[in-house]
Amino acid sequence: MIRRLAEYADVFISALESLRANPLRSLLTALGVTIGVAFVSLMGWALGSLDAAWESTLSTLGQDMLYVDKWNWAGGGNWRSVMNRKNITIDQAEEIARRVRAASMVYISADAWGKTVVRADKKASGLVIEGTMARFGLLPSTTLAEGRFFSEMEEQHAAAVAVIGDGVRSALFGNRSPLGETIRIEGRPFVVVGVMNKRGTLFTDFLDRTVYIPLPAFFGLYGRYSRSVTVAVKARSPEELGELRDDLRGIVRSVRMLSPDAPDDFAINEAQVFRDQVANIRMVIGMVGIGLTALSFLVGVIGITNVMFVAVVERTKEIGIRRAVGARRSSILAQFLAEAAMLCVAGALVGIALAGGLIAVAALLLRTQMEFLLPFVPLNVVALAVGSSICVGVIAGFVPALRAARLDPVEALRYEA
Amino acid sequence: MSPHSPLILLEQVTKDYRMGSEIVHALRGVDLSIEPNEYVAIMGPSGSGKSTLMNILGCLDWPTSGRYILDGTDVSSLDDAALARIRNQKIGFVFQTFNLLPRATALKNVELPLIYAGISADERRRRAQAALESVGLGDRLRHKPPELSGGQRQRVAIARALVTNPSIILADEPTGNLDSKTGAEIMALFERIWREGNTVILVTHEDDIARYARRIIRIRDGRIESDAPNSPETVEALTMQQ
Repeated sequence: MIRRLAEYADVFISALESLRANPLRSLLTALGVTIGVAFVSLMGWALGSLDAAWESTLSTLGQDMLYVDKWNWAGGGNWRSVMNRKNITIDQAEEIARRVRAASMVYISADAWGKTVVRADKKASGLVIEGTMARFGLLPSTTLAEGRFFSEMEEQHAAAVAVIGDGVRSALFGNRSPLGETIRIEGRPFVVVGVMNKRGTLFTDFLDRTVYIPLPAFFGLYGRYSRSVTVAVKARSPEELGELRDDLRGIVRSVRMLSPDAPDDFAINEAQVFRDQVANIRMVIGMVGIGLTALSFLVGVIGITNVMFVAVVERTKEIGIRRAVGARRSSILAQFLAEAAMLCVAGALVGIALAGGLIAVAALLLRTQMEFLLPFVPLNVVALAVGSSICVGVIAGFVPALRAARLDPVEALRYEA
Repeated sequence: MSPHSPLILLEQVTKDYRMGSEIVHALRGVDLSIEPNEYVAIMGPSGSGKSTLMNILGCLDWPTSGRYILDGTDVSSLDDAALARIRNQKIGFVFQTFNLLPRATALKNVELPLIYAGISADERRRRAQAALESVGLGDRLRHKPPELSGGQRQRVAIARALVTNPSIILADEPTGNLDSKTGAEIMALFERIWREGNTVILVTHEDDIARYARRIIRIRDGRIESDAPNSPETVEALTMQQ
């Protein structure tokens, strides 16, 4: 083993040298691998970005949060019967909040969608006005870029104060600070006291287009019974979420006075409802990515096998010389396998660089709309790409290398190009 | 090795080739014994079997039948890896066409057998440099074969053959691609190598070259035709001429 070390080092060096001797041919040969690796990298990047978006969705919505709603966030169920559901009224919501025991926090909120907010001569539309409680501001996932959340006192007095999402801020204020400025919702003035951090994700992009106001103020704008409200319940720990869900379901059914055989006329939502969506996107990216990669690698294998056959013929004399001075068949096999593998690794590095460039540009261009995109190829994907390209090289180089190893040294020495 | 056993012992060695439907009997039963530090020329016209004999002596090929005992080891039944090891350690080849790696420096070419012997890089360099200095190429270490003259290339090849301290230097028409003056210089180098204690076997069809050896074996039709000592006076005269 130790004796062979010198030989393996030489195999590596001579493979590098023969690569350098023919750089253009090498690159063209490995084009299939380059493209395949670029696909693998892009796929890994897309999946990595998706996971990052998913993670941030989980943390903004809270992995320990349940949301009692009229609708199921993910859709589904019989559309007509869902449409016919009665609203969850504020009175029901307060009753539910009173009866939930095994929770660390409960708050009630109500939303109005597609609203327009005006500031002086500017206006932003397509916004969500959310009436909520001061407690919402205490959640760890509620972080502010500027100012503060409104207080319990302000909530109770239906104060005309607002905390605005990052998207609302940029639409109405540009780079100026909005603190202390007045905005108009449904014509009524509200003073901006805080700006939320950017928190929208692939699945919850509306969060940045939301204006938070005290719930009583919301009722003042839109009426107390016009909309179905949401009861948000925070478990004491993520482990207790299942138990809490069961409790909550019983409480809501009782508050809504459902008979034992009636189906639920509400939904208990949580961040996990987006998981199926994530799984579907993952699968599509994965299938397309793997398909394209496999195709490119196949082209790569064919190209490299051919060039290696040519290389074996070109270097018949060299094989003879090496055999004469003491190379075993396995030495020659190793040499040509290493060369094919090195060719593929070189191709892979070009592919990674190519994908890295595309990704950097894409992340730069899309950073405002899709800030969850990673700006680089994830490291584990780089390792995967290099590893798989070595495999491609070994597969592609095997038959030519075997032919080289089986050459008769006498014939090989006699060969004249 | 006991003092009585020869370095090379061939017993009834035959070699058959299949050429299409025909079987060619290249060697038809060769008995041969060579002692350490002999200087032997194997001669014969083309087709005589001398190349086949050289391939078998050099462990590049197996005999069809008979025994080949090299330095006390029966090599006629060894597998590929074992033969590669024998070639590496016991045989130094010098070819008519030099057979150097064209893209490698002189130093790298001479190091090649040491790589397969598992010698460390520092030691390889040291030994390769010493071998190149001994053939008078100490100032050409970094040159590649295309930058060297024919005679210099053959010296690199000789350095490569010597670098492992082999039991036999096996030279196949070593002056065939050289002009006569350079050829004579190369033959003087072999003379010196032989005087330093090495066993040298020349394979040639040229009488002028064979005359340098101390023993001449003539092959015809796959058999040894004659095997006679060569008169040292002739050699003295030949070396004088230079």
